[in-house]
Amino acid sequence: MRWRPLLALVIGGALAGSVHLAAQTGPASTVLARAIDAENQGRAREAIAAYREAIALGAVVPGVLGLERAFALVAQEDSVLPALDTLIAKFPREGSLRNAQLRALVTVGREREASRAFIAWREAEPSAIDPYREYARVLLFHGRMAAADTVLAEAVQRLGSTRGMLLEVAQLRAGLGRWAEAAGSWREVMQEEPYFETAAFYAMLPTPVAFRDTVRAIFTAGSAPLGARQALAQLEVSWGTPRRGWEWLASLPVRDTTIAIWQQFAEEVERAEAWGVLTDVLVAVQRARPTSAHAIRAARAALRAGADTIALRLAREAQQGPPADRRMTDGVPIELEALARLGRAADAERVLAAAAPTLGPEIVRRQARTIAMAWIRAGDVDRARRAVREAPIEDADLVAGWLALYAGEIGVARTALRQLDTPDPQRVEVLAFLARTSATQSRSIGEAFLAVARGDSARAIRAFEQVARDHAELASLATLVAARIHQGRGELAKAAELWARLVAQDGQSPEAAEALLEWGRLARRQGDRAAARARFEQLILSHPTSALVPQARRELDRLALEDRR
Amino acid sequence: MIAGYRLPRMARRLIALALMAIAMPARAQHLLLPMDDAQANHLKAYGVTFGALRDGVRSEWLLNYRGGAFLLPDLPSLRRAALLAGVSVEAIDAATLRTLRTAMAEGNMDAVPLEKAPRIAIYTPPDAPPWDDAVTLALTYAGIPYDAIWDDAVLDTDLSKYDWIHLHHEDFTGQQHKLASVYRDAPWFVRSRERDLAMARRFGQGDIPALKKAVAGRLAAFVERGGFLFAMCGSTETLELALAGRDVDIAGVPADGSPLDPAADGKMDWLRAMAFGGAALEMAPGVNAMSDIDGHQVNVPLRRQQLGTFSLFGFSAKFDPVASMLVQNHRAVLRDFYGVTTSFTRTRLKPGVTILAEEAGAPWVKYVHGTFGRGAWTYLGGHDPEDPQHAVGAPPTDLALHPNSPGYRLILNNVLFPAAKQKPLKT
Repeated sequence: MRWRPLLALVIGGALAGSVHLAAQTGPASTVLARAIDAENQGRAREAIAAYREAIALGAVVPGVLGLERAFALVAQEDSVLPALDTLIAKFPREGSLRNAQLRALVTVGREREASRAFIAWREAEPSAIDPYREYARVLLFHGRMAAADTVLAEAVQRLGSTRGMLLEVAQLRAGLGRWAEAAGSWREVMQEEPYFETAAFYAMLPTPVAFRDTVRAIFTAGSAPLGARQALAQLEVSWGTPRRGWEWLASLPVRDTTIAIWQQFAEEVERAEAWGVLTDVLVAVQRARPTSAHAIRAARAALRAGADTIALRLAREAQQGPPADRRMTDGVPIELEALARLGRAADAERVLAAAAPTLGPEIVRRQARTIAMAWIRAGDVDRARRAVREAPIEDADLVAGWLALYAGEIGVARTALRQLDTPDPQRVEVLAFLARTSATQSRSIGEAFLAVARGDSARAIRAFEQVARDHAELASLATLVAARIHQGRGELAKAAELWARLVAQDGQSPEAAEALLEWGRLARRQGDRAAARARFEQLILSHPTSALVPQARRELDRLALEDRR
Repeated sequence: MIAGYRLPRMARRLIALALMAIAMPARAQHLLLPMDDAQANHLKAYGVTFGALRDGVRSEWLLNYRGGAFLLPDLPSLRRAALLAGVSVEAIDAATLRTLRTAMAEGNMDAVPLEKAPRIAIYTPPDAPPWDDAVTLALTYAGIPYDAIWDDAVLDTDLSKYDWIHLHHEDFTGQQHKLASVYRDAPWFVRSRERDLAMARRFGQGDIPALKKAVAGRLAAFVERGGFLFAMCGSTETLELALAGRDVDIAGVPADGSPLDPAADGKMDWLRAMAFGGAALEMAPGVNAMSDIDGHQVNVPLRRQQLGTFSLFGFSAKFDPVASMLVQNHRAVLRDFYGVTTSFTRTRLKPGVTILAEEAGAPWVKYVHGTFGRGAWTYLGGHDPEDPQHAVGAPPTDLALHPNSPGYRLILNNVLFPAAKQKPLKT
């Protein structure tokens, strides 16, 4: 993939050099048209004959290039060489012919002849940079880094510099893994030709982690060219650090070009599913060019990022513009969803009531589920039940499943949640939990999940510990969930207590492996390497088929390395 | 059974024991650590075997059998060690072992007893990160213990307490691989230069080249008295140059303030060197190469040769057990990798040097072995088998991602090779 820009250059180079022997009129152009037609239809033999005829009629460069393509169709790349030998003798300074000759020879692996052809071209034009540049391009295209390096070094030696070959030098340095030098060269390229940012991106993409800071420093030093910032922003997304990518672009002065760059960056960040960064980018676009459409897109991103307050503000902005621009039917549901997540159920009901005349009864009815979930998060299950009565049947089923769960009607909840086919990771987790028990009623399970829905982590921990006491078959899983919540709250000592209990009481359960891994990691972070080692070893020895064993082995390797230091 | 009837207590116990015996598989007598493609972690298999030797458990190295498998007694501690390390083991009973030995006797295979864990030292600067040296990486990953020694230890202590010393990319000509022209202001370069100068003063040497030549002499003496030396990368070539050039100025101005002796080539005493002879020094101070020993010349753009692949020679396990041990592998052809010294020019090898691996048709070889006095040495060109283009400052190789690396296996073959020295060797 990284060679695509280079391929374009190789072909582009060939075409650029073909101007003065290319323009054809009269019989030659008719024959050429016939040849191209035959080539396009895959009739290679016919195309070859026609291209030969075109060359004889004077269409030398287009004829040769066509001949090269047609022979490639029949996997006879070297068959173009006799024609090239004859033509080069007639037109020794024609770069396109020389270039085609180098391409063909390197492609078929006739390295020595390629080298001789290069030398002949160089001697024909001793002060020209073209022979070096074109040969280096061909070699780079075939991944012959060291050979290309030699050609460029020779250019420096004979011509005094590689000016005019900046792009090749940049490509070469990246190919050889000289990342700092490559970054410098690419920056220089983009100073002159900003549109090479995509080529720079592909070339620098494999930069190892240890060199990335150097590349960042070089690309952004002083008044960095716009192309360098764009390339670096793209690289950051691919390197898994999209936030830094946005930092390189956020400070650009607001103008139409910048907005276009931000929007393009937003597409890339969206593909990387970096919702938080996407929210920031789209908020910046909205600030610079406020429209309801921008606000809606940013609000949706904010919801996915869990930035509910920002989503709420943006959803309201989308409804406050000029009347023609207002997006009520998009904005109100987002506003309701944000309010529901924030547990502001009464506000959500008021918003829905106020928007009802504009939205119409069907849309209002579809929001009943959101209102019900808002009441659940607010801790009022009765109001949630009342709200769901207004919902369409399918939404009512979904909410009913959750309400049954929170009420401890496990059997009903299991059936209702299982029947739904909407993709919802939370539902899958609940079903996995419920699958471990045959109980049909459990107040403690209901309370545990209700506490999770309300975002009340302290109560959730207590409730899951109660589940562990009430249901022996769920003890290890419920204890592990409680420990995870402790971990999320930064209460590591309490999490460790639960892991220890889980391992002691249910040492053979699948959850014990995770408990041992986390417990060992905590011990390592706290500097107790012996305890950490004991936990990891216990995991491997007592759960040899666990998917966590490779992680435990890596942790042991890490400990060994630390011991060595 | 008749209702209400109970067997006598002793009978119940016997039945229970019999049932347990049926339920539990009989413990096999041996564990085979296969080293062919059935092995999940080749590198750690060496560590498990080394650990067994350290604990006084005798093992056998089955040369040319399943990639150079190891045979160990079936002990719970070894099963545990293998499981922790993720090393594949196969239980072997006496009958299977007999069949295996018969097959080995009939083919080009042999079993070499491994008797004691060699004592290992790695010659490495005190501040070197563990990933700067492939051997350090390999030993750490495999869980094989070693001592780190530096110039003071080489010059001051009795090296005979070690069986095996490893050198990596030190420049024994004292020129820091001629990197001064590029890195002279880099903090790491300045630090290492100051450290070496202080060490030279401490041992009464006038400059770094003199210090390193003294160290090289001690290392050669270690081999001469029966030690095993394994060197990689630039330490191979420069150790030889330092030995042969002991009484000649072979270092440039940045190293000792004076240019090389223009007649240095003619004054080199190659009788003192272990592996090479007749090499020509690189006299140009700006050319980043030491001599024509290295075939690839990676840091000289106009001379740099491309990387290819190298093939391991197959040796007779029965008649050439030493060379056989050094080339045990589950791959016969390996991809090449650069180092400041990547390969060794054939024409510079002394007669009698055993070529262990070469690139077919190339004027260089990759992996060589020989004896010197009562000891032996092995040289492997290149820096890191899993980082073919390794550059200064490159990130560390994570061996957990290369547990089956055939290149790293060559290094570990050398580690276990001294464990077999008690057996009369025919090479």
